[in-house]
Amino acid sequence: MPERLLSKRTLTALRVLGLLLLLFLMAWATPALAHRVLVFAFAEGDTIHTESKFVPNDPVRQGKILVLEAKTGQELLTGQTDGQGKFSFKIPAAAAAQKMDLKIVAEAAMGHRGEWLLKADGYLPGAKVAAAPSPAAALAPAAPPSPATSGSKAANVDQQALEAFLNKVLERELAPINEKLTELTIHRTSLSDILGGLGYIVGFFGLWAYLQSKRQRDS
Amino acid sequence: MHISEGVLSPAVLGGGAALAAVGTAIGLKKLDYEAIPRVAILAAAFFVATLIHIPVGPVAEHLVLNGLMGLLLGWLAVPAILIALFLQALLFQFGGLTVLGVNTVTMAAPAVICFYAFRGFLRRGGIPASVAAFACGATAILLSGLLVAAALLFTGEGFLQVAELVLVAHIPVMFIEGIITLFIFLFLKKVNPEMLEGIYA
Repeated sequence: MPERLLSKRTLTALRVLGLLLLLFLMAWATPALAHRVLVFAFAEGDTIHTESKFVPNDPVRQGKILVLEAKTGQELLTGQTDGQGKFSFKIPAAAAAQKMDLKIVAEAAMGHRGEWLLKADGYLPGAKVAAAPSPAAALAPAAPPSPATSGSKAANVDQQALEAFLNKVLERELAPINEKLTELTIHRTSLSDILGGLGYIVGFFGLWAYLQSKRQRDS
Repeated sequence: MHISEGVLSPAVLGGGAALAAVGTAIGLKKLDYEAIPRVAILAAAFFVATLIHIPVGPVAEHLVLNGLMGLLLGWLAVPAILIALFLQALLFQFGGLTVLGVNTVTMAAPAVICFYAFRGFLRRGGIPASVAAFACGATAILLSGLLVAAALLFTGEGFLQVAELVLVAHIPVMFIEGIITLFIFLFLKKVNPEMLEGIYA
């Protein structure tokens, strides 16, 4: 009697599945994404800071960081994370000049890897301001010292200094919000995700069983 | 145990996919009507176990349960692991679709190997069967670790270095998996021996 056999099996199945689920969910109540590497990067002035961690919150120590040009995959520089999973580098001059989008790749051992795309708009404002005073300074001695132009130049320099200062303050003030936003973009595995996955498995094998039973009946 | 996307070379990815396809074909051929619920339960158990961290000392590791799957399923472990990994890649970006083949091989091949290696002892019953059940759970993890190291061999990381790292990290997991496999084997033997029919077939 295949029907009776199946129903008995299904009962067993439910019992064992329940047991296993209880075992896992009770003992380790915080489901987490095991070992996905997350890397995020933000610019502060002319420096880009990166932080790499295993989701949910375990720093990637001595991981390898590759900074690539997003489009061509050309490697700009490499580095190693410190004990807190952090690595900082100066914005490469070539990247700032060509407005490259940067792809930052963190490689942890055992084949774990994560990526973060840092758009040019995201880091260039800081780089521009840091670079701006030097051309202004270079021009200043060349220009004839007429009172009218030097006045406007002073205002210009003031404005630039102010802008740089504002940028700095804004970056500092916005840093926690940036971090929060980054946190929010992490997709954490929730119980409903896991149950959804289990549902797919049950559904898939149910479908398979249905097709096989149909084939058996046909033959 | 899951290797991320973008780490391996196309040759390794292709080889893994081909092996996984062959294994899945063999598994599906052996998958008869009555085995379906068994495969489904273990696929579900694997799906959950590989998502959940257990803190072991300084690092957090997850269970794999591939020894248990091999013990209960034999070749059927391959499609069960494949479907669970596929869903993890799809739902959680965990592993990845291009590395699906390689990840399936690193976790399913040890299951099949352990099934054939320990089947004879498991049939005997008594203490040899208990020891074999523990060894089955532990060995599968060991082999998985070696296979991960082998897959990463062509990425520039030294084999011994990676193997050492993987193995050291998984020693506690080997022990825990051995215990779990033993516990479930004894439990099923007492309560529900027909779940174990794979090893007598």
